Amino acid sequence: MIHVEGVTVVYPDGTRALSGVDLQVDRGEFTFIVGASGSGKSTLLQLIYRELVPTEGRIIIAGQDVAGLPRNRVPHLRRNIGVVFQDFRLLPDKNVWENVAFALEVVGASRREKYRKVPLALELVGLAEKEQSFPHELSGGEQQRVSIARALVNSPAVLVADEPTGNLDPEISWEIVQLLTNIADRGTTVLCATHDRVIVDGMRKRVVSIVGGTIVRDARGGGGYDEP
Amino acid sequence: MNLSMVEFLLQQAWQSIRRNGLMSLATSSNMTVALIILSSFFLSTINLEHMADVEARKANITVDLEDDADPGDVEATLLGDMRVEETRYMSKDELLEDLAASFGRSAEAVQAGLQENPLPNAIIVAPGDPQDTEAIAETARNIEGVAEVRYREQITHQLLTLARGIKIAGVVAAVLMGAATLLIVSTTIRLTIYARRREVRVMQLVGATNWFIRLPFILEGAFHGVIGAAVSTIMVLASYSWVQAYVSEHLAFLELIYSARFAVLFGLGTLACGILFGVLGSVIGLHSYLKHV
Repeated sequence: MIHVEGVTVVYPDGTRALSGVDLQVDRGEFTFIVGASGSGKSTLLQLIYRELVPTEGRIIIAGQDVAGLPRNRVPHLRRNIGVVFQDFRLLPDKNVWENVAFALEVVGASRREKYRKVPLALELVGLAEKEQSFPHELSGGEQQRVSIARALVNSPAVLVADEPTGNLDPEISWEIVQLLTNIADRGTTVLCATHDRVIVDGMRKRVVSIVGGTIVRDARGGGGYDEP
Repeated sequence: MNLSMVEFLLQQAWQSIRRNGLMSLATSSNMTVALIILSSFFLSTINLEHMADVEARKANITVDLEDDADPGDVEATLLGDMRVEETRYMSKDELLEDLAASFGRSAEAVQAGLQENPLPNAIIVAPGDPQDTEAIAETARNIEGVAEVRYREQITHQLLTLARGIKIAGVVAAVLMGAATLLIVSTTIRLTIYARRREVRVMQLVGATNWFIRLPFILEGAFHGVIGAAVSTIMVLASYSWVQAYVSEHLAFLELIYSARFAVLFGLGTLACGILFGVLGSVIGLHSYLKHV
């Protein structure tokens, strides 16, 4: 599903964020990307949803060369990639239902599609009964669930989560990562960047470690934060 | 683009107009003032040009004949000039009658006070194009049997000079007011984008196309244009019809352009200008901001 080949990213100020990164992720696979702050985790994810283009190398998602994509095709790529952030990025003046529906509205979904897909996404993240609540009325974990529902409502092939548990209590974090693995089990490829050692160790999923912009370890069969 | 997309776009535009209420009011007001100034200049210019044209058309050349001249010969020579549209011979008696009528008296009453009719026989020449008046007059002076050539050049000339001056002032005002309006609209749109940057960011992340993101802002600019055009058209046309009524009552020799068709065309023209300013202002605001969101 995701092929990253020999990718290097050098920022205009000369900072080398990634060097010669190779990564293959299969359909429906759940992968942790671990590393300290500034190691290049976020840069790698930004390349996937085409927020950045690599200085060198290729990124192929579902057979499509992402780096060479013309600007006007980027929105169409993003409809196939859901993104979740540490700070949730919900719209404060829209309720839960409207926040999720927003992702459908801006890509021109019909009314009928909206009324079919939004309840399904909310059901999947376990928030069906809170659809009328506003973000400020929800806990952090619930807000992150809404943002996951919004990322999933367009049925993307890939879900990218950048430190999704960074602002959450350990117990809630566990629930969120569990939800992400369930999503992967349903066939969506999930990349989850984190530096939450406890969660990575507890999950025993594939772990890709990045240090100083280079992949130093890829525990394909499942591993902990440090050991294979 | 389907119906729910259109509904969504309109809803987005309306929401940000309402959220930025005071700024929206300022932008629409500025648009109104700009359009009032522009349309006032426009109305002044086209009316002066119209008056000059009417005067020029009235400004026939009067060719006075010597007493022994043969009117037929002079008329034939005049008609040989391609620039002459038509000629009309008027004997001295007919001219006196005309003159007396313009004072509201009969020719006999006027003649009674005179020893004899002092007027010469004359040929009235209508030029095809008022611009040629001077040249035709010059040619006519050299025809044998012509005593004097007279035409009303001054009023036409002055009206055209005035119209030209107002037109130049109008163009300068249009450029200044246009630039100010574009600046204000683009600033409003930039503030709107800033206020909605989270939404814009989410739209970009979930795959909204750039045009879909831009359209609500462009609609917002167009909205200010429509409001400005509507208010300014009502105000300008109301004042104009008052001026027209006053002029036709007190200054009947002046003729202003005034008809329902003109009012409709004027309104549509103002609307088009307003929308153009609004959309252009939005596009400028978007261009300088959206790429950095």
